[in-house]
Formats: sequence, structure tokens, C-alpha cells
Amino acid sequence: MLEIKDLCASLADEEKQILKGVNLTVEAGKVHAIMGPNGSGKSTLSYVLSGKDGYEVTGGSAALDDEDILEMETEERAAAGLFLAFQYPIEIPGVGNMVFMRTAVNAQRKARGEEEMSATEFLKEVRARAKTLKIDADMLKRPVNVGFSGGEKKRNEILQMAMLEPKMCILDETDSGLDVDAMKLVAEGVNALRDKGRAFLVITHYQRLLDHIKPDVVHIMAEGRIVKTGGPELALEVEQNGYSDILAEVA
Amino acid sequence: MQQADTGTKMVHLGKNTKSRIVSKGISAGKAQNTYRGLVSMHQKAKDSRNYTQCDSLLIGGNCGAHTVPYIEVKNNSSRVEHEATTSKVDDEQLFYCRQRGMDEEEAVALVVNGFCKDVLQALPMEFAMEAQQLVAISLEGSVG
Repeated sequence: MLEIKDLCASLADEEKQILKGVNLTVEAGKVHAIMGPNGSGKSTLSYVLSGKDGYEVTGGSAALDDEDILEMETEERAAAGLFLAFQYPIEIPGVGNMVFMRTAVNAQRKARGEEEMSATEFLKEVRARAKTLKIDADMLKRPVNVGFSGGEKKRNEILQMAMLEPKMCILDETDSGLDVDAMKLVAEGVNALRDKGRAFLVITHYQRLLDHIKPDVVHIMAEGRIVKTGGPELALEVEQNGYSDILAEVA
Repeated sequence: MQQADTGTKMVHLGKNTKSRIVSKGISAGKAQNTYRGLVSMHQKAKDSRNYTQCDSLLIGGNCGAHTVPYIEVKNNSSRVEHEATTSKVDDEQLFYCRQRGMDEEEAVALVVNGFCKDVLQALPMEFAMEAQQLVAISLEGSVG
């Protein structure tokens, strides 16, 4: 579903390369995890894939279901089925959570030539999904992420993911800032969305999230490239020994 | 290049009177927006209070916003407060909206409407709906 070949990228005004040839294939229905030391380029990868300003692709390609996404605008990639769960979700004062989600859902449907969701349909759907994530009606009315706790913000990301029904979900350190209970709730939300037509790329520092969102494949990213790929046991190895052995191996 | 110089006048004549002013100004393109507000507390307006909030939103790097408060107090027990904020439509907010599927214009319109919400909510519904549409239309083409 997602095919990244030799992707190289740098910050727009700088010469320093951050991504130095990333190769990664994520098949539909699978969960891939990316771990790696700070500064390895994990978040940069998620930003380059989602089209954030400020980055320049200097080589390679990235395709979603064989469509080149690097040529598309951010919103086009979203309509094509790409979703990024932000590490630090953004606050939008004065814009209600429901209003935001409904605008997003309908913007994507319109871009795909589909019918917009009716208000009643939308309400029903949101309420059902919100219930499983323990997001109450009050939170749905509040402005997006304003005054939300860390756990609430992350659950809100998962709620948006559930409503938008994306094909390729990138979770950028979804567990950062969460206590154990909040993390379990978020993991449950993600697991409930697993589907043979959907793939997940979970970027994380810690093994514990992967206890709840069991990955099919684990990658280690360092210095702008994927340096090692393995099964779930690779994450356990990192948890035990850190990255130095692996980095020494590939140096 | 538009220049708008508008504002309010609030005159307190009686004791214990209270007032609240919320001004939301949006500048885009090469516009200059000025809010000029007079708050006048007369001699007999003892223990009167005013709170003025003046918020400016700047879209793009070539516009400006100005606030000129005029405060006249003729007694020693009045309380007059004035707060001003200036903000721009945050790139991060736009990226967030766009990553969820909205195009840049839709995203700016959404954020701007959020900015004006306090004022729009106080208007009669029919007017508020038109005002919202008007904001979206005014923003068309002024972004990017």
C-alpha cells in the first residue's frame, strides 16, 4: 500500500540531509513500527509523507497504492487516504470539535466525488465512536484540543482517524505524554480500526505501546535510513539493550 | 490596499454601570485595520466598570493592525481595563486542517471563523450565518 524508495529529504533552506535514502514498504492490513534514536528522522519521515511545508524532497519516491503522493498537496494526500496522528496535536480556538471533524470528513468526500455525510448520519457515527474512546459529549463541543489534557488530545486524534477512515495511518509517537491507562485506551482505539484494507505505521520510542498495538514488522531507523528490519522481537531487543549494538552492526 | 478605521464609543453616565466591548479585526493582503475605542466614565458614574478586548488577526505578511484606546475617566472609583492581542493564522493550524483534508482557503476560513466566534455568537442567527459566509467570500483569493 505504501511504498517508499530511496527517499531523501532536507529542511527547505538547509543543505543538511535528514532523510538519506529511506526504503520501506507497508502492505495493506499490516502494522509496521519504527523505532530509533532521537534525531534519526522518524518524525521528519512522517512530515515529508504528509506534505508539511519546510521540507524539500531531494530524491527517491513515495507512493500510496501506486499513486505518487510527493506530487500531491497535503489535502490531496489526505483525500487519497493518508492520515497523520500528530505527536503534538494543534489547538484551534473557537472551532468546535464536531464542526472541525464534519468539515474534514465532507472536504475529503467532496474531493473524492462522494456524497457528503448528512448531519444526522454524522452525529450518530461520531457519538458511537466517541463512546468507545471515552470522549464525552462535552468534549465534542469544545474547541479542538483547546485545554485538552495530553490523553484527551491523543484520543481525539484517534477519534478523527476513526471518522475519516483513512487507508494509511501514520501514528507519530502517539504514546508520548500518556499515562498507562490513557495509552491502553488509545491502543484499543487503534486496534479497533485494524482492517485488511488499512495499514499502520507506528512511530514510537517505547516498547510498551507495542505490547498493546502488536506490530507485524519492526524497523530501526538511524541517521535518516532504515537500518534494520525484523519481527516484534526486535523491539524487545532494543528495550533490553538500547540501540548501540544495532548501530554498531550496521556501521 | 484597504484602510479601515472603525471603533466604538462607550459612555457611562450612571453609578455601577458595567460594559464589555469585544472587537475582532482581521487584516489580509495589504490592508491596515485600526480599532479606535472611546471609553468615557463621567463624574457621576461612580464604581462603573469597562472591559475592552481588542483582538487582531493578521493573514499574510503585508498587512497591519492598530489599536488606539481613548480612556477618559472623571471620577476616582471607575475601573477601565483594556486588553489587546495580535495573532496570525498559525502555519501549524493550517497544516493540521489540510492534513485532515481541507484545502488552504477552507482551512483559513475555518480558523478565522473560530477567531470571530465570540462576536458571531452574539448576533441574531440569520445575520451570523450571513456574516460567516461573508468572511469566507472576503477571504477568497487573499490567501496564498
